[in-house]
Amino acid sequence: MDAFVSLVNGLSVAIQPMNLLFALIGVLLGTAVGVLPGIGPALTVALLLPITFKLDPAGSIIMFAGIYYGGMYGGSTTAILINTPGESASMATALEGNKMAKAGRGGPALATSAIGSFVAGTIATLGLTFLAPYLVDIAVSFGPEDYFALMCVAFVTVSATFGDSPVRGLTSLFIGLMLGLVGIDILSGQSRLSFGVPELYDNIEVTTLAVGLFAIGEALYVASRRHIQEEKLEPVRGSLWMTKEDWKRSWKPWIRGTLFGFPIGALPAGGAEIPTFLSYSTERRLTKHPEEFGHGAIEGVAGPEAANNASAAGTLVPLLTLGLPTSATAAMLLAGFQQYGLNPGPLLFAERPDLVWGLIASLFIANGMLLVLNLPLVGLWVRLLAIPQPWLYAGILVFATVGTIAANPSPVELIMLTVFGILGFLMRRFDFPIAPVVVGLILGPVAESQLRRALSISLGDPMTLLQSTISATLLAIALIALVLPFFLKGLGRFKAVED
Amino acid sequence: MTSSPQRRIDVAGLVIAIILLVLAGVVWWDMSKLQILSPYDLGPKVMPVIVSIGLAVLAIGNGISAFRGDLPERESLDWTPIVLILGGLAILIVLIAFGWGFMIGTAILFAATSTAFGRRAFFVDLLIGAGLALFVYLLLGKLLTLSLPAGPLENLF
Amino acid sequence: MTQFRKGLWRSALAVAAVAGFVTSAAAQMELKIMAPAAPGGGWDQTARSMQQALTQSGIAKSAQVTNVPGAGGSIGIAQLVNNSKGDGNQLMVMGYVMVGALLTNKSPVTLEQTTPIARLTAEYEAIVVPADSPIKTAKELADALKADPAKVTWAGGSAGGVDHIAAALFAKAAGADPTKINYIPFSGGGEALAAILGGKVTAGISGYGEFESQIKAGKLRLLGLTTPANQGTTDKPSIKAQGVDIEIANWRAVVAPPGISADQKKALVDAMDKMAKSAEWQAILKQKGWEDSYVSGDVFAKILADEQARTKEVLTSVGLVKS
Repeated sequence: MDAFVSLVNGLSVAIQPMNLLFALIGVLLGTAVGVLPGIGPALTVALLLPITFKLDPAGSIIMFAGIYYGGMYGGSTTAILINTPGESASMATALEGNKMAKAGRGGPALATSAIGSFVAGTIATLGLTFLAPYLVDIAVSFGPEDYFALMCVAFVTVSATFGDSPVRGLTSLFIGLMLGLVGIDILSGQSRLSFGVPELYDNIEVTTLAVGLFAIGEALYVASRRHIQEEKLEPVRGSLWMTKEDWKRSWKPWIRGTLFGFPIGALPAGGAEIPTFLSYSTERRLTKHPEEFGHGAIEGVAGPEAANNASAAGTLVPLLTLGLPTSATAAMLLAGFQQYGLNPGPLLFAERPDLVWGLIASLFIANGMLLVLNLPLVGLWVRLLAIPQPWLYAGILVFATVGTIAANPSPVELIMLTVFGILGFLMRRFDFPIAPVVVGLILGPVAESQLRRALSISLGDPMTLLQSTISATLLAIALIALVLPFFLKGLGRFKAVED
Repeated sequence: MTSSPQRRIDVAGLVIAIILLVLAGVVWWDMSKLQILSPYDLGPKVMPVIVSIGLAVLAIGNGISAFRGDLPERESLDWTPIVLILGGLAILIVLIAFGWGFMIGTAILFAATSTAFGRRAFFVDLLIGAGLALFVYLLLGKLLTLSLPAGPLENLF
Repeated sequence: MTQFRKGLWRSALAVAAVAGFVTSAAAQMELKIMAPAAPGGGWDQTARSMQQALTQSGIAKSAQVTNVPGAGGSIGIAQLVNNSKGDGNQLMVMGYVMVGALLTNKSPVTLEQTTPIARLTAEYEAIVVPADSPIKTAKELADALKADPAKVTWAGGSAGGVDHIAAALFAKAAGADPTKINYIPFSGGGEALAAILGGKVTAGISGYGEFESQIKAGKLRLLGLTTPANQGTTDKPSIKAQGVDIEIANWRAVVAPPGISADQKKALVDAMDKMAKSAEWQAILKQKGWEDSYVSGDVFAKILADEQARTKEVLTSVGLVKS
């Protein structure tokens, strides 16, 4: 009940007109930068820090929280409409969302993503309010071996993105794993697959790969096929809003996505990408419309979007309770606190409850604001697809390249973007699935470094993977998820014979 | 390429298999130059070994499907738009590399892409692209003070 | 005596001339500060803070910050040395981390090619253990390390970085083999901190700021800081004063391109001298919690050379650099 009283106090801070204004500026700015790939909320907050120093702490921190949540929204809007994920966490959304948009169902896709984000953000912020102290103990007890086991679960579920051929799916995954090797190996300090090019030492940026494969690859592919099949985009076919059926198919994925996103986001090395993919795979397994997956299934948008936003709230658990910044944006929020001489961590709740609860309350408000702003805009956003095709794709290329050079003004980064674009084109032409490449790039390095850390700590004893309860449980889940489909298939065959 | 009943060997599929094999070789070669520094660390070599073996096995898998000819059908390809878009990107990269800023290149990229998609108004699109680039420059370069690659055009503002 | 007086006169003249030159030059000084890192990081924040202090105090007419991220600064320094030769208005922010990064990346461009201007800030490394650890002092940690370096696991930043170097120096000072330390690099400060709080490792090593709030909350025990022996306090004991001879700081500094004239160098050094004393800069230091460690000109050049030699030795001993 303490938390409840504090939250009400926090709300009274957050609904002061000035703070509402800051939250509004934040969500608008966040949405704007979220749209551009490469420039995320972290960068924006970093650049605004010196400007906001003159503002009062509550106002500017509330604004930063708005930027954070707004960025999540903006990233998924472009993922759905123009297949250009603004952040790596919006990649799973692009998979089904863009297919929906192309089929004239962009409206429902945007709506389910906006409402799902709201639902997830609200539930997760409630979780932050009431569960943070308990959750953080679990989060900290998560060791390298447990992360490795979590990665195993993620790897097993990746096959959901494989399409119809396991050989081609695995080929894509291994190309991603290979790209994940590029750069300096964090554990030994040696560079791999860099061929002496210093720009490659910093590893391949996930957004560069995703934007190259998705946006540029697609532009090349569509252009090369214009003489056979003129792509016709109808912005709206059927209802602009979600139908009753859409609601029915969305609400469970929202909840499940939240359940993936919030706890994994709260883990210090959890991140937002893994829960979005777990959610995507889960929805694909559970759906009653498996034939729609790969062609625009609404569950495939609702789940990952909810997971994405819930993980954003989850990130704040270690930040506020321990002062642990576990994402780039959280690190900037931390810098924002420190600029006012505040140190997030165990003492902040006690020393400045007004600020912490003001922030949490403003998260609720930012969330509501985003919903109110975004739902009426759905119609407008969808009209973007009515832009003549030459301009639409030309605009996509400009956004993709400018976003990339704004984050890293180097020709080498653009060359990489182009090469990934060509790769994306070839993969489309030869029917290799695209998503596993990005999944491999994200999961590979994490799985490798966590396993190596675990084995360093245990002095090379692999039993450390089974001695931890969390790790053993997760590995068991991974094993079951791996074996179960074969078992069920066998059972099905057995039944068929019996009949 | 249409799949005939007697199933022809798919040349493109074989090329893919060979590329994968080459990649496997490159990863292996790169791995062989690494050292194991810490006595407790599994070392930086394990993952490249896994990736290299995986790529080699998949090269065989892709090779088999190429021989069987069971790759999906492909339609004919129009190279002109691809050359246009990649050309636009190449010009952008070269201009940035030689300090001409990003705005000129961005305008050319915009016009080249829209030409690739069938528009026949290169100069109008060049202006639209330039306008878009200017907007981006003012938003990111001036408002957020990001350092975008600057050249003669950028320095006017 | 006459000679002495002559020398005094000469230097006084020089000072007067330079001062005159600087006041007139400073009015038009249009500086460019390169942060060899992406926006948001430590070097970028330093560059942007300098920009703020230099323009607000009127030391420079303008100060433009550019970001050249990549490879621990290797790409930025290459650009400085190759493209800005002789440019007396260009500065680059750098730090101790760059010394190690250039060595491990086998960078063709070295810091010797730059013109050292001034060191601005420094942060000392802190060694911590979980609150329930049996280890109470730096000496006890040193003893444990000497008994079996494999059993003492360290959590810190990336391999070859300042945390790693400090851990190796600590082991050496403790009388253990630095090549045998079980140092586990983590990618972000938060991740390493979580591993220490969760009791996954024996000790953690990083900048004091990373640990500060956890130490104050009693979740971590501070064994000591890598400060000089006489700078230890009860809150922040010096490791050196506890008998483990190690002293290291993660500093940030500015350098200028090669090939600038003596006058240009002097002007830059003077501008930095003024900035360091300005109320604006002091306010920023306080607000960001940065420790002032200002030295400029030849004193800094000497420190830079010493740090390079020491770092090379340590990195060679852990195998990251081949001699």
